[in-house]
Amino acid sequence: MNLIRFRILFLITVALSIVGGFGYLTVSSFDQYSRINRNLNTSFYLQDKVEGLDVWKFSNSTLEDLRNHRRVLPEEHRANALSDIIQAYASRNPTTLRKRSDFFVRNEVEYRKYLFPLVYYLERRIEYFGLITLASMVLALLISYLYLRRALFNEIDSLSRKMVDFLNQRYTYQFTVPSPNEMGHLQATFNSLAQRVLSQMDELKSLDRAKSDFLSIASHELRTPLTSIKGSLSLLKTGVVGKLTDACANLVNIAEQETDRLIRLINDLLDLAKIDARKLPLTKKWTPISELIKPCLDSLQGLARTANVFLVSGELPPVEVNMDKDRVLQVLTNLISNAIKFSPKNSTVTVSVVVDESDRLVFKVTDQGKGIAPEDQELIFQKFRQATNAENPLVKGTGLGLAIAKALVEEHRGVIGVDSTPGVGSTFYFTLGEWRFNVKEQQSADPQSPTGVAA
Amino acid sequence: MKILLAEDDPNISVIAKIALEHIGGHQVHLATNGRMALEMALSYDFDLILLDEMMPEMNGLTTCRQYIAKKQEPAPVIFLSAKSQESDIREFTEIALGYIPKPFDPATLNQTIYRIISKSQRAEAA
Repeated sequence: MNLIRFRILFLITVALSIVGGFGYLTVSSFDQYSRINRNLNTSFYLQDKVEGLDVWKFSNSTLEDLRNHRRVLPEEHRANALSDIIQAYASRNPTTLRKRSDFFVRNEVEYRKYLFPLVYYLERRIEYFGLITLASMVLALLISYLYLRRALFNEIDSLSRKMVDFLNQRYTYQFTVPSPNEMGHLQATFNSLAQRVLSQMDELKSLDRAKSDFLSIASHELRTPLTSIKGSLSLLKTGVVGKLTDACANLVNIAEQETDRLIRLINDLLDLAKIDARKLPLTKKWTPISELIKPCLDSLQGLARTANVFLVSGELPPVEVNMDKDRVLQVLTNLISNAIKFSPKNSTVTVSVVVDESDRLVFKVTDQGKGIAPEDQELIFQKFRQATNAENPLVKGTGLGLAIAKALVEEHRGVIGVDSTPGVGSTFYFTLGEWRFNVKEQQSADPQSPTGVAA
Repeated sequence: MKILLAEDDPNISVIAKIALEHIGGHQVHLATNGRMALEMALSYDFDLILLDEMMPEMNGLTTCRQYIAKKQEPAPVIFLSAKSQESDIREFTEIALGYIPKPFDPATLNQTIYRIISKSQRAEAA
């Protein structure tokens, strides 16, 4: 019986029976009242009619009217008196008619005297019961509203407040003792839901912790032995611990190169794992792009010369970008060194930065290589994927560079992609999300301009 | 030079010792943790101390601070560290002569050390 639905049902039943009871009393009183009123009207009508009877102006229709009324008069003595009058009227006896109509009128007046207090009584009754019906209706509505507010609306409000709190990460969700009804069930369900969410959050947190622990341990444990191997090989190569034969030097060289490759691979993998786990802290700063492009080109000129490739850059727009310079440098270096590696001899790799028509800052690296087949263009940004490159011996990558570049660009709210025509060349491009024009840079970059001289 | 090298990884300390002795011609003494390094540095006079930052017992920074506080004429200290955050580097250069990022190339370790020393001498002269 604690269930809210039973209580509401009970409330409705009680309210309906009270309202219905008093309503019935009101309606039945009104019914009685209107019947009596009808009787009174009939009585007045008959009295008028009887008083107006005149044997000299006898009419059949009047006689018929009286006969009809007589048939429906409920009281016997009134019906008898009216019968007498009809008889006298029909026999056209004025004396008898006079006498009998006097008697009839007296009789009717007596009859009405008996009815009048009844009418008065019924009027009071109708008023009284009508008011009670109305009042009990209002009361029933009020009680229902108050009960619903207490049992449902207040509880729903508090539940939704607690849900909002929960969403805002204030965990005061606990309902101490859920009441034994539907709201209580809801509260208990919410309690267990919240507990499950919290315990899963804890689980996620510990998983996350385990993941970063693993990352830092793995990076330390993997790098330490490699450092020793690399150091030992480097010392062997110098020859200070003993002159190496040519064959030995060759082997040491191979070992060193492969160690370098392993170190690169491990660094790339750990970078990627860190980005995946959102453990790569980006230190973003507003930096003019010239501070990014120029050192990057300078450091790659050596590689370009080795590969007999011209590395040039277009004019840079005067913009600055909110970025982690080292990380964007990593992306750019990766794209440019890829372009150099895949370029034929005596071709040109062009680096340019433009603001495109949809107001994006686009970095472009264009080569004149043999291009990338359309089916490979999506593939190359995935981990451990490289487009097939049988001929080019310079190409020795981990297959992770572009995947890392993609992740890093996405961390900067940008996109990365490639436009390529097989046989003509490829343009790798990426955008960076936060950039703005830098007016100061524009002025200082062009000191020969009239404003520069005036200043 | 008489150099104290404090490094907990035995392989790396052997590599550094060979590089310093065979290429640089220095005399190298090894310590394997911070406490041992501090004791040795306080008991003997060295020309240069190379401190690994991450060591058992006592880390490099603490060792260096205690050494400078206790020794009358402390020798120059250079840190070896894998930490590369700007704040860490600032901390190293504030209390020591300089720092060498790990992993270092043993073939050029001596040059790196000389570069740090001559840079600080130029800074002193200026």
